[in-house]
Amino acid sequence: MKTFNYTITDQVGIHARPAGTLAKKAKEFESTITLEKAGKSVNVTKIMAVMGMGIKCGDTVTITVEGADEEVAAATIEEFFKANL
Amino acid sequence: MKDKIFGVLQRVGRSFMLPIALLPVAGLLLGIGSSFTNATTLETYHLTHIIREGGLLYTILDVMSQTGSAVFNNLALLFAMGVAIGMAKKEKEVAALSGAIAYLIMNTAISALITAKGGVEAMAANSTTSVLGITTLQMGVFGGIIVGLGVAALHNRFYKIQLPQVLSFFGGTRFVPIVCSVVYLGVGVLMFYLWPIVQLGISKLGILVLNSGYAGTWIYGIIERALIPFGLHHVFYMPFWQTELGGAMLIDGTIVQGAQNIFFAELASKSTEVFSVSATRFMSGKFPFMIFGLPAAAYAMYKAARPEKKKVVGGLLLSAALTSMLTGITEPLEFTFLFVAPAMYAVHCVLAGLSYMLMHICGVGVGMTFSGGVIDLVLFGVLQGNAKTHWIWIVIVGLVYAVIYYMVFYLMITKGDLKTPGREADDEETKLYTRQDMNEAKATKTSNGKSNDHISALIVRGLGGKKNISDIDCCATRLRITVYQPEKVIDALLKESGASGVIHKGNGIQVIYGPHVSVIKSNLEDFMESADTDTLELGVSEAAEKAPEKKEVLANSIQLFAHMSGQVVPLENVEDDVFSQKILGDGVAIEPSEGKLYAPCDGKIDSIFETKHAVNMVSKEGAEILMHIGIDTVKLAGKYFETHVSTGQEVHKGDLLVSFDMEGIKEAGYKLTTPLIICNIDEIGEVTETAKGNICPGETLMYIE
Repeated sequence: MKTFNYTITDQVGIHARPAGTLAKKAKEFESTITLEKAGKSVNVTKIMAVMGMGIKCGDTVTITVEGADEEVAAATIEEFFKANL
Repeated sequence: MKDKIFGVLQRVGRSFMLPIALLPVAGLLLGIGSSFTNATTLETYHLTHIIREGGLLYTILDVMSQTGSAVFNNLALLFAMGVAIGMAKKEKEVAALSGAIAYLIMNTAISALITAKGGVEAMAANSTTSVLGITTLQMGVFGGIIVGLGVAALHNRFYKIQLPQVLSFFGGTRFVPIVCSVVYLGVGVLMFYLWPIVQLGISKLGILVLNSGYAGTWIYGIIERALIPFGLHHVFYMPFWQTELGGAMLIDGTIVQGAQNIFFAELASKSTEVFSVSATRFMSGKFPFMIFGLPAAAYAMYKAARPEKKKVVGGLLLSAALTSMLTGITEPLEFTFLFVAPAMYAVHCVLAGLSYMLMHICGVGVGMTFSGGVIDLVLFGVLQGNAKTHWIWIVIVGLVYAVIYYMVFYLMITKGDLKTPGREADDEETKLYTRQDMNEAKATKTSNGKSNDHISALIVRGLGGKKNISDIDCCATRLRITVYQPEKVIDALLKESGASGVIHKGNGIQVIYGPHVSVIKSNLEDFMESADTDTLELGVSEAAEKAPEKKEVLANSIQLFAHMSGQVVPLENVEDDVFSQKILGDGVAIEPSEGKLYAPCDGKIDSIFETKHAVNMVSKEGAEILMHIGIDTVKLAGKYFETHVSTGQEVHKGDLLVSFDMEGIKEAGYKLTTPLIICNIDEIGEVTETAKGNICPGETLMYIE
């Protein structure tokens, strides 16, 4: 299991577009990737659930990656967050 | 195998209830109407001046008689449709239509073959009849039942069939009447060749009966009763009543053939001193068990019913018993136990046969117009005088019969724990009932809210999860479920849901709730189709099994309506990759002509973006729907948007969700194209059809299957 924290810097937070692209990215991996904020956690492939978190600029989220390809998945997802969010 | 048969019989018996409920009324109409329009009856009692043909009273009675017999004449059709409805798992109305069509087709096929053979004259006597104007083989209710069962089987097999694109119009439920027509054309042809063999066997049996005295009378009685479920009793007794098989006699200088003809000739003759028992032995036996025996059996069923069910079954049994008693129409009563307790019907046949024999031995000479109720007993027994008819023996034997029927039926029901109407399992229910009442009260308060769902959830879990449930139905008091693996059923959970008892019979499970069971059933069905079942499944079955499970939940098509007025835009043409490449899911967009966003279906608001430009909602079927007003409008940070609902709110199709300033948004440089996306489309199916051109709220936007 791999975990990292990330603080959102994108002005508008995780709205529809990033939720969609994040889910798309996550589906490339076998590992289960969950996003946690304030005790609530969701699977990032669940687009609506991710949008429902209402994550805004400045929020800190915890991403957990668990599964066979967790090493590479965690690295890629972290990369994705830094580039897009 | 035995359990499987029980499961099927249970469904068949239940499916009979719809047409059977009509019989008592039809029976009374026919019984009263026909007795007092019978020319012989009227002449005998010198009623011809009061009730004469063409007169008002006669016409009223005749209308009663004709309408009553319309039901009986078309009983087979009622069964063809009723059984199809009862046995079909879904889309029952299509099964009903198919049953009617198949029945017509089968009889028409037979009719054409009869004509080809040379018409009715070429067929054996009494082997043909007219059904809905079609000359066909006398198959009785049995003809309807084979149609009903076969149609239901075809329906359950084909109602979801997918045909190649060019023929797709004929797919799904539309395919069912088509395939049923073709199959029953074949069945009709088959029956034309097979059924006469059955009929021949029966008439041979008749000859045997005639040549064997008292024992013969007994056998006649047993066979006559045993043939009722198959509608073959007419084929069997009519020759006795109407042809020389029932004897021939010289009365007032003319040779009269047939038991009933002999009786009525003697009735009309002034020289008759005693009615010929050799003729009435084929009739009189009906009186003791129809007037006394069967009503006593009904009382036994009533007594054996659970106290809280008595009121419900009491009405059914009383009307059926009265019908049997007054008019001698016994089917309503017999069918209540024929399928739930075939053993009881077997005993009934033996006792009925014995009744014929006893009447024969006692020399009872009471005839009848068509059956053995009080009306006929009074007209043709009591009013003729005991010297001529010895009718008093009917009452004596009848009273004994009442006691025997009551005791035998009551013992069989209680000892064998037979499931006659209103019968339930063990009696630990008193306290459970209190809990049930409580749950019920709660359910009423929240009306369709969480508390009902809680009960449905308990039931689904108690039945071993949704995957374990093959089909759900209910009767007056109990939920009847067929499961795949009965060992997965957890009685404790079912009882917690308010059940007073659970009965296991192979794959058939009966859960007893009481008269409000139909509500429980409806809630359960809704619940089974809702998304809540998914979360529930997580706790019950392996997470790995979740995905296909979901697909099943949403197997039925979901219909979404337009979320705004405007021009439909295919998702591929939306000028934004995240939508056009379907990264968020599949759907369709609308270029709005009015700044209002409406709910596309009933459901619940999952979340609204703080920037108010997008709404997430979940339909009651579990589709996760994102409606995103405009492209990149997140950057407007809520300006020009006004929301009318809040997160967690239940909404209905057509409710206003968001209004927005179209001009303002346009001036700010944003497109207004508003996609409606099903985010979890992979889990629930696919978008099968979308609207084109201009659309308004309330019009269908798309289907998901």
